[in-house]
Amino acid sequence: MSTTRRMVVVGGGAAGAAAVAELRHHGFDGAITLICGENTEPYERPPLSKEFLLDVPATDGALPPPGWYGQHDIDLRLGTLATGIDPRTGSITLSDGTRVGYDRLLIATGVRPRVIPGMDGDQVLYLRTINDAVRLREQIRAAGHVAVLGGGFIGCEAAAAATRLGKQATILQARPSLLHRALGPVLGDVVAGIHAAEGVDVRTGQNVTGIRTGSGSMTVLTTAGEIECDLLVVGVGTVPNTELAEQAGLAVGNGIEVDAYCATSIPGIYAAGDVAIQHLPGHAGPVRVEHHDSALRQGRAAARHMLGLGEPFADVHWFWSNQYEHTIQSAGICDTAAGFVLRGSLTERSFSAFWLDGNRIRSVISLNRPRDVIEARRLIAAGHPVTAAQLQDDTVPLKRLTRPQRAAADT
Amino acid sequence: MTAHWHETAVNLDDLWEGDMTAVKVDGEAVLLVNVDGDVHAYSNRCPHQASPLDEGDLDGQTLTCAKHLWEFNAVTGCGINPDDARLKRFGCRVGDDGTISVDTGP
Repeated sequence: MSTTRRMVVVGGGAAGAAAVAELRHHGFDGAITLICGENTEPYERPPLSKEFLLDVPATDGALPPPGWYGQHDIDLRLGTLATGIDPRTGSITLSDGTRVGYDRLLIATGVRPRVIPGMDGDQVLYLRTINDAVRLREQIRAAGHVAVLGGGFIGCEAAAAATRLGKQATILQARPSLLHRALGPVLGDVVAGIHAAEGVDVRTGQNVTGIRTGSGSMTVLTTAGEIECDLLVVGVGTVPNTELAEQAGLAVGNGIEVDAYCATSIPGIYAAGDVAIQHLPGHAGPVRVEHHDSALRQGRAAARHMLGLGEPFADVHWFWSNQYEHTIQSAGICDTAAGFVLRGSLTERSFSAFWLDGNRIRSVISLNRPRDVIEARRLIAAGHPVTAAQLQDDTVPLKRLTRPQRAAADT
Repeated sequence: MTAHWHETAVNLDDLWEGDMTAVKVDGEAVLLVNVDGDVHAYSNRCPHQASPLDEGDLDGQTLTCAKHLWEFNAVTGCGINPDDARLKRFGCRVGDDGTISVDTGP
């Protein structure tokens, strides 16, 4: 560690910012450079598709507060992109023409929205950055009818926000249910029901074939007809920003390949966050997760490994989404094509669905039962044995499953 | 420092070890936590986004907010993840009859 004096982090999203904070937190007093493509200090993205659109303050807290970087002697390069990595000399080049040397490098370049060719113009919005969100917030207010292409998290949350602002919203989704990839068809249908009950026109199984823009209004062309709207929000997935890593010769698949220590195929270079695809013991295949909490945890883990500290990354992946008054939470890595064990009620919109691997919980998806997820997350981390009957029985607190003797003693 | 002690409606008999409950004290939302027989009082608002902590989980000494899984040590009030967060603590005492009182003074 004594020879590691220069840390460089490329990417000012959750993973990069959390990594920088973790380095200082562990007493690293050498040089830290943080390269941010955007012109603002790192911020949290989750509110951008939720509270931010409604003008409801969502105070941050997981990332360093404004001014922290200056106070902690971080060389923060805003509005700057890394254009090349030279692993041989241990340096990167930047879009402003300068070169920065590193002893350890973290790539946390994140993802960008997948853009559909021909889907552009003033009335078409993609959502990733705070600038995108500012524009969307303005244009939603001016719109009467907001169409959303894609029934993933971004699409569902944008439709919920538009509805809360009194706008007509239509979700166009090629797959048979909403949140189909994340939740599977059965739970995805529950979410579709929630949106429909809120007045959203949910159109699943429809492919969009193009748009026609006019003055002020626009038309979305689908396989099932045409839809007039004022605004089209496109949320059809993302593309990992791997170009920099590829050019440097790092192993890249559907993301930058890293091991359980967030180390890439080249010594001294690490990757974390949405852009990293991680090989973890106990998982069938490599895992690339695009959720805020995972990015924070992975960024911190990568920082510890850059300092020669730390354990393999073994945190249970977790995410949440808020839509209307409903909270979806999940822990673990889900294979939603497989069958699940249900606790609670789909129709009452209060349930947890568990995916089991033998007598171990592999993952859980909950609607409006965050406490179940906290408990399940512990059961997953501990690999504690459970039975389907125990999980289904709503009268047995999940907490008791880890402590059956104590429960008996208490009562 | 002026203490403002208020008796709560909660008796130790109603707050078992490993349990937590929310009460209103002097207009403040207060979380009462019983860890191994010792009662601690905190603001019931998570320092992250002010979510009610009593809707979360207490496991041993670990208090987890259900909203975004921030974790705190329920004895010290210090953050575990993230570890630079901290719960707002109130003074707390248990009377001979088990009545739990909270100090909302500055």
